Amino acid sequence: MSNRIELFLFSAAIIAAGSALAQSAAREGYDVKYIGPPMADPVLQHSKETYVLFGCSYCHGLYLVARGEATDLMHSRLVGRDDNGNVIGPLLRAGIPQTAKLSPMPQFSDLSDQQIADLVRWIHYGRQQGRYKELTEAKDTPPGNAASGKAYFDETCSSCHSTASGLAKASRAQILRPKFVDAPPSWKLDRITDTQTAAARQRHLALLENYSAEDVANLLVYLQGVK
Amino acid sequence: MNLTRRDLGKLALAAIPSVAGISSAQTAAKPNRSYINGVQFGLQPFCYHDLAMTTENRPVLVQRLVQNGMGMVELHATWCEPRFNDPGVNAQEAREKLRKWRVTTPADYYRKIRKEFDDAGITIFSYYVGFNETYSDAEIDSTFEAAKILGAKGCVGSYGLDVAHRLVPFPGKHAMFLGLHNHDNLSDPDAFSTEASIVKGLAFSPDFKATLDVRHFTAGNGDCVGFLERHHQRVSGVHLGDRRKNNGRSTPFGEGDAPIIEILRLIRDNQWPIVALLEFEHGTLRTEVDEVRLMFDYCKRAVA
Repeated sequence: MSNRIELFLFSAAIIAAGSALAQSAAREGYDVKYIGPPMADPVLQHSKETYVLFGCSYCHGLYLVARGEATDLMHSRLVGRDDNGNVIGPLLRAGIPQTAKLSPMPQFSDLSDQQIADLVRWIHYGRQQGRYKELTEAKDTPPGNAASGKAYFDETCSSCHSTASGLAKASRAQILRPKFVDAPPSWKLDRITDTQTAAARQRHLALLENYSAEDVANLLVYLQGVK
Repeated sequence: MNLTRRDLGKLALAAIPSVAGISSAQTAAKPNRSYINGVQFGLQPFCYHDLAMTTENRPVLVQRLVQNGMGMVELHATWCEPRFNDPGVNAQEAREKLRKWRVTTPADYYRKIRKEFDDAGITIFSYYVGFNETYSDAEIDSTFEAAKILGAKGCVGSYGLDVAHRLVPFPGKHAMFLGLHNHDNLSDPDAFSTEASIVKGLAFSPDFKATLDVRHFTAGNGDCVGFLERHHQRVSGVHLGDRRKNNGRSTPFGEGDAPIIEILRLIRDNQWPIVALLEFEHGTLRTEVDEVRLMFDYCKRAVA
């Protein structure tokens, strides 16, 4: 899917879910204690509600802390490989009937594309939040290896960051989640058509979902040594 | 709720395990608040998804059951047993501590728990236990004994054929039943999922009963009504909820393929002593208490 189409769909989703915030806050029978207060971003709020409504949170946890035998989506490699639902979407549609687990993962073939996209969005959001927390709050961080950090940078970062010197003062938090990633969503045309920033944002969030503690430690040591 | 003498008789019958040989005088049931038009309802409190199943949360569980008008429950062992998986304790150590705790805990511990439920007018119908190959014989005996003190008529769990086979000698020793609970894993030959697999398990012992999970049975394309018609004498209870066929998702009551109304009317019209334990795994934006209330209302309309 091109970035332009993706942005168009993103905008459409925002419009479709535009009133979710107000509805959720006012709606009777909305379990604020469990689901949490409505989020500032109505698209995310709608995705979160979809995730709850279709029962995903029952097994995988609202914030991806799995219950029982359910797959740990926070650390699943498969989820880490997913790009905008290209892996998760078909899996949701088909379920996992062949399994050694007690209860197979059900299939969700009756959901609309929009509903699947909502589930995918929440899973990635939950994973990004959770991984950031894990990687910033970890007590026993590995020491880091500059050579491994350089190798990681060359392979993963250098296609966008032509030189590492500009990142020498970057903190752990900035490496994990550069500030521009959290810019509030906007419907302004210049923002919607800024595909370069959108791609960079997506790339950084994908990295955040897949960094290991070693990757981050290595990168930090390498970048701090760059002159 | 007004119960006739006939109703009370039926309740008492429902409480007697088929092979237990316990006199009805010993198990005479009191009128139960969730006995509705000939069907004894209860709850599988897994429904309260937001409530961790811990000993600390047990008072909240009791409170919610009363709030939901439930007079019967299938109590998961984790509501009674402490956890030993503290930070720094490895899994094997924690398992060993739990084993030791199970075989040494005095009866009075469970009597006090039973009193909590008795005082709230809630009967513990069955005790849900995750029996597996790590259980020692002494541990299994202690667990059945604990369940009995709690007032349960049997132990239920999600084990497969192998574990069930090992459990054959135990329920009879304690004048109880062992419930075989199905899921919808059709690819595992050890799993209880199809009618054939459940029938195979029931053949292991006359003390074994089916705890037919109608959600999973439906998702596995099983025929719940047919199963009950053929095997109702070997069914202790049903886990009542809704799902779609073909390993489909869980749904709110009435939106899936499980024949909930038909099942309840079968139980009611045939006066079968099968307890209908409400359970849901579908998503909801409501509180769990509100959702259980809706489910229960749906069932009450079905047997009205």
